[in-house]
Amino acid sequence: MSVLAKQKEHTKIMKGQGSGNTSLVIATKGKKFVVRFFYYLVLCSLSFVFLYPFITMIVTSLMSDSDLINITIKWIPSGFKWSNYKIAFQQLDYKRYVLNSLLIGTVATLGHVISCSFIGYGFARYQFKFKGLCFAIVILSMLVPVQTIIFPLYIQYSKMGWLDSYLPLLVPTFFGYGLNGAFFIFLFRQFFLGLPKEMEEAARIDGCGAFRTFFKIMLPMSRSSILVTVVLSFVWHWNDYFEPNVYIRSMAKMVLPSRLPGLYALMDTEDAMDLVMEEGGFTFNKAMLMAGTFLVILPVLVVYAFLQKKFMEGVERSGLTGM
Amino acid sequence: MKTEGKSMEGKGSLKESKTNKAGRTKNRKGLTMEGRRNLEALMFLSPWIIGTCVFFISAIFSSVRLSFSEIVQLSGFVMEWRGTVNYQNIFMYDINFMPTFISVITNTLINTPLVLVFSLIIAMLINRPVPGRGFFRTCFFIPVLLGSGYIMAQLLQIDATGSVGVGITLPQVLHEMLGNTLVTAIQPFLDRITLILWKSGVQIILFLAGLQGISSSLYEAAKCDGATQWEMFWKITLPMISPIILLNFVYTLVMYFTSSDNDLVKYILDTVFSKIDLARGAAMGWVYFLFIFVLCGVVFGVVRLGSKEKEA
Repeated sequence: MSVLAKQKEHTKIMKGQGSGNTSLVIATKGKKFVVRFFYYLVLCSLSFVFLYPFITMIVTSLMSDSDLINITIKWIPSGFKWSNYKIAFQQLDYKRYVLNSLLIGTVATLGHVISCSFIGYGFARYQFKFKGLCFAIVILSMLVPVQTIIFPLYIQYSKMGWLDSYLPLLVPTFFGYGLNGAFFIFLFRQFFLGLPKEMEEAARIDGCGAFRTFFKIMLPMSRSSILVTVVLSFVWHWNDYFEPNVYIRSMAKMVLPSRLPGLYALMDTEDAMDLVMEEGGFTFNKAMLMAGTFLVILPVLVVYAFLQKKFMEGVERSGLTGM
Repeated sequence: MKTEGKSMEGKGSLKESKTNKAGRTKNRKGLTMEGRRNLEALMFLSPWIIGTCVFFISAIFSSVRLSFSEIVQLSGFVMEWRGTVNYQNIFMYDINFMPTFISVITNTLINTPLVLVFSLIIAMLINRPVPGRGFFRTCFFIPVLLGSGYIMAQLLQIDATGSVGVGITLPQVLHEMLGNTLVTAIQPFLDRITLILWKSGVQIILFLAGLQGISSSLYEAAKCDGATQWEMFWKITLPMISPIILLNFVYTLVMYFTSSDNDLVKYILDTVFSKIDLARGAAMGWVYFLFIFVLCGVVFGVVRLGSKEKEA
């Protein structure tokens, strides 16, 4: 379905609704039904674009060798070949690397939530000299591509003896830096700007200190922003393999996504042939590859499935219009 | 309160003592309050200040210095000042840099507005309270969950020429009707649309947040005055979410410029890590960053100018 058609339908919906609202007499049930129909048609076709690769991945991951070659089989494989997952699981050395990734994701997310809420609150509530300049630096740190400064950072971390450990990935998150740290500072600042000041003032008059006010009153109120930060920070850290690949050298400390390219290489090169010889009779095919890819993103999907409803509510309440 | 203010004055970093002096001319009570507020602000920002010094400013400075020098000895990171030689090299002798640079910029400038338009449309569609909304929201958020780099490229089966294996394709019937020439002409466009849709997950979320923030009483009032849906979009929705359009614009620009599947980023990384030409890599990085920075500055400037005109 071409995009132009989609847009036309969209305007149709807008127009249809508009006239439905104004001309009270003609607005019949039939017209409403047509509008509804087109609305769902557009939504379904758009979401198909998003779901299609995803479904292809899952379907392909369950295919057997003969299904892969057979072009008539596209959506429903002749049988579910779960052993693909088993092989991918072994090839990725899943158990070990999933723990590495989980460790990085959890600690870095924790760092972002603590530091960015704290800093964002400072920017939202206090007036001080050079505030404009400071905030400009926050924005600047969002704009500078990490690739530009990666080498000086590498040198710096090597002088600090932090290379080949998770410290370069984790410590900056506790200081409002790290992966997209500035974005989260911005998010929390917006949120706190939108909150009424009365609560804090009441607390302060009752003799509550600045820190206690923050931790006892403001932080519990900002649950929605925290949730958004948790989901985005975890997901971004999970999927990032650029920085881990630069800082981490030893195989045992690698993160899960950086195992994938190796898996893909396995399919193309002669290593695959060696595998057949060694492990007795299987070729590393596309189905196993897709199974591996699915395994890599599975934890993210699980985390999101649990937080999905609350996350959307959090997004809606994060008060971004208050800029 | 007073003692605290004074003790801080005694510590007297330049910044605080200045504000205190300003406060003193007003009245004594204001001085201590202001000093106290400043101290608190400093406490809240202290992690960020430390972070900026350690993880940002120093790296920025040594990277800039590096771009003007040459590495003499790699092991100790000893460098020698060479002036603008690296920059001259990039522009005069490097045959790959400028073409890549220009193609990356044109690509980004074409894609960014499209991302904004599509994500706004999708956000408006899923903003309505209809059954099944949760499902669609999750669908549109899938790309964010998958990350933007390697996994997404593999999942969409993007090949070296940039065409998408599992994106929107024209149905087989159209192939027969239109003929192969026309179809192959349209396909790159469709591939681009697929990629754009896949890159607009976060933007959809941000727009959704913005749309939710618009008070429904505005729409009700407009409805009472007989405004159509179309008019309401232009007169209420668009002005109200203009800050988010700006945020999304900058986010999209930065996302495109810094993503690891960007050709220029690949080229810079290749120069730094494969050819070990660190100084030239740094110089390229700074030319690139300067461009992004100027572009964002122009956007901010235009927006500010526009809002000022509106006020006047």
